[in-house]
Amino acid sequence: MRKSIIVGIAAVLAAAPLAALAHHSAARFDLTIRDHYVTGIVKEFKAANPHTKIVLEITDEKGTRDVEFEGHSLNNYYRSGWREGMVKAGDKITLQAAPTKDGSDGGYALGVIAADGTRF
Amino acid sequence: MNTVKVVGVVLGLALGASLAAAAETPDFTGIWDIYREPGAARGPFRPAPENLPLKPDAQKKVDAYRALIAPSGDTPGGWCLGTGMPGSMLGSGGYPMEIVQHKDLLVVIYEAHTEVRHIYLANRAKESDLFPDRNGYSFGRWDGDKLIVETTHLKEAVDQARYPHSEQAKVVEEYRLSTTDDGRKVLTAEMTLTDPAFYTEPIKAVKKWEQKPGIRLLPYECNEPAWEDHLDRLREQQKAGASKNGG
Repeated sequence: MRKSIIVGIAAVLAAAPLAALAHHSAARFDLTIRDHYVTGIVKEFKAANPHTKIVLEITDEKGTRDVEFEGHSLNNYYRSGWREGMVKAGDKITLQAAPTKDGSDGGYALGVIAADGTRF
Repeated sequence: MNTVKVVGVVLGLALGASLAAAAETPDFTGIWDIYREPGAARGPFRPAPENLPLKPDAQKKVDAYRALIAPSGDTPGGWCLGTGMPGSMLGSGGYPMEIVQHKDLLVVIYEAHTEVRHIYLANRAKESDLFPDRNGYSFGRWDGDKLIVETTHLKEAVDQARYPHSEQAKVVEEYRLSTTDDGRKVLTAEMTLTDPAFYTEPIKAVKKWEQKPGIRLLPYECNEPAWEDHLDRLREQQKAGASKNGG
């Protein structure tokens, strides 16, 4: 019994760092499509390196749901005009988002149009 | 009195000599961003070169790695790992770099993943003190207005997007300053990669930057979100443990 608990704890400890590691890839997005726009309500906007995490509540023919997008790095967004607080939860924003290759929800945010019309 | 005169003359000569040397040596210090032709926009990244002159065993290693990461599209950068040479110098995600130049040392900081290279111009390290890593050991010398840098002690890196290499790789870079017709200061590096274990012939590439005095290098804290997520998980576990214990 005690051995199985120790083994269980060891397994959790071994798995935890892997689960916590950042892993980002733009390979699942069709980056050649640059005229696709998605509008939604911001649930989360976390500017970060190497990629930004954006979650929007989207309503379309499929219904209302939360969709996660990847975006450029914090550094690239900063250099193109983004500043802390410019995008907040509850804001209605539009993403210029390269769609997924398999047509599933999500995309890669090549650009952002903030609630006040600021583009970065 | 005579001693004072002699010291003065010696100091004067030394100062004159160092000023003359400083005048001959270009100054690479500053922030450098990717060079673009006038009017050119930021474009998509260049695709990795095809048909590299890889030896059969090296080709197998590279193919195996590329097949491994193909389904996920994983990259070292996506896992917050720096690119390593020569990718750190040739690409580095399109981010700028900073060069801090001293008499016997140039420090090159690539913004992406805050990769740092030290280019030593004197006091070469003993062979016994060196070991392979992703950016290797760089030793340089001035040849007139050219800086020639030789990098060795690289780890085998099949995960280099453009030019995978073995531990036997040697990268020689020749840096030169120039000024464009519209007055921009340009730094050009001509690179030659030789690797008898991986390639049948030398690989050549050119990289150009332009000086951007108005910008600063930004921090690149890639693992911060993973650390914050980890803390959130610990808090949830702590909360669950407390409620289980009636806390």
